[in-house]
Amino acid sequence: MSVDDTGRSERPTQEITVTVNGESVTAEVEPRLKLSDFLRSHLELRTVRVGCEQGVCGACTVEFDGTVAKSCMLYAVQADGREVTTVEALSEDGNLHPIQEAFHEEHALQCGFCTSGFLMATRDLLAENPDPEREEIEGALADNICRCTGYQNIYDAVETAADKLEGE
Amino acid sequence: MKPAPFEYHRPSSLADALELLADLPDAEPLAGNQSLSILMSNRLASPDHLVDINDLDELSYVEADNGSVAVGALVRHREIERSGTLAQALPVFPEAAGKIAGPVVRNRGTLGGSLGEGDPAGNYPCVAAALEADLELASAGGSRTVSADEFFIATMFTDREEDELITGITVPRDPFPPARTGQTFLAVKEAAQTWPTLSVAGAVRVDDPEDEEPVLEDARVALANAAEVPLRVPGAEGEIEGEPLSEAGLAAAGETAYEAVNPEEELHADETYKRELAREYTKRALTTAHDRAVA
Repeated sequence: MSVDDTGRSERPTQEITVTVNGESVTAEVEPRLKLSDFLRSHLELRTVRVGCEQGVCGACTVEFDGTVAKSCMLYAVQADGREVTTVEALSEDGNLHPIQEAFHEEHALQCGFCTSGFLMATRDLLAENPDPEREEIEGALADNICRCTGYQNIYDAVETAADKLEGE
Repeated sequence: MKPAPFEYHRPSSLADALELLADLPDAEPLAGNQSLSILMSNRLASPDHLVDINDLDELSYVEADNGSVAVGALVRHREIERSGTLAQALPVFPEAAGKIAGPVVRNRGTLGGSLGEGDPAGNYPCVAAALEADLELASAGGSRTVSADEFFIATMFTDREEDELITGITVPRDPFPPARTGQTFLAVKEAAQTWPTLSVAGAVRVDDPEDEEPVLEDARVALANAAEVPLRVPGAEGEIEGEPLSEAGLAAAGETAYEAVNPEEELHADETYKRELAREYTKRALTTAHDRAVA
């Protein structure tokens, strides 16, 4: 996979090579390009939602360098030589990931804008704490804002996802 | 919400980073980027150069010996929150770290970044003031040590020179023997993403935790978002030191804090309310610290 950014800008660019969802990507980017914009606009990974663009809403949360991070608070140049994972990598062969299934079953979304960020934060939580208490779930998702659901269905979904993953 | 153009540098050693900061005009260090990126996205800051220090593993340490605790500037909030060494030696640090935003922010944000921002509402500046931490600053020309008391000058204005990098802090252990010391960090906060209306760091050392009425040998109180610097309140400490904890002593400490603060009025917190919070949370922090010291 490669990205042709010719003509995108006359300002100086830097070449970066990033492993995104397991594939190596090389691109010329302006240093000020946010990782969120690089993923969504340049690589067309539309699960990366660009919301507040200042680290509050959590809609652009991705896995970066082994931990979850808000991709609007990283520049794409910082990802040079590193690994990034987005929600696109969760499903396999068109089958939803158990966390996605749980969000579906528990009605953990309405408009869906925030969902990608919640999925990534949930994935990170359950990777290190497979059976979290409700309070731990609330703490783990504190960086993500949902303006539709009131959160209860999301917390339910995380519990359901934990059960599903445990049963695997 | 896009930053102005800048040039990006990623040095792989402290020496290289300091050279860049010395040579480049209008350069800012880039660490966790959980505050700087907000300033840059809103064009409140537009440095010409960013010097990314995330590869400087030499600034990523937590070390405790008998004399002091040393924490590197690049240690993430998440690491401080989970550090067994700090939980044992200076538990107020993990407690304060765990109350910064949510875990996604804590994965990236760093000790040095929070101190360097110099926000008087910040958790670490408050803890550093309470514990009398020393900040280590390095530049291409050498290094120096500045006390927290001298480092924070005004809101987002510190003693750091433009070519300097905070490399870490040290805290003396002598005043805080774990067996006789209690510490706490309390925050009054609406949501993870918001600044606290007020926070407080407290520490208490008693002479003998087994005693029925242990005497308070040393007390520390510092308040965040209560003045234009993290505000240590020695007068409040003096009200309870040298005797066993009493309601009268706590009340006097609270009153001292009420008078000492100089808070900015906010939409949902006028000056009087914040003074009342300062009074109440000074009492709560000292009570909690005391209870932990004798537990």
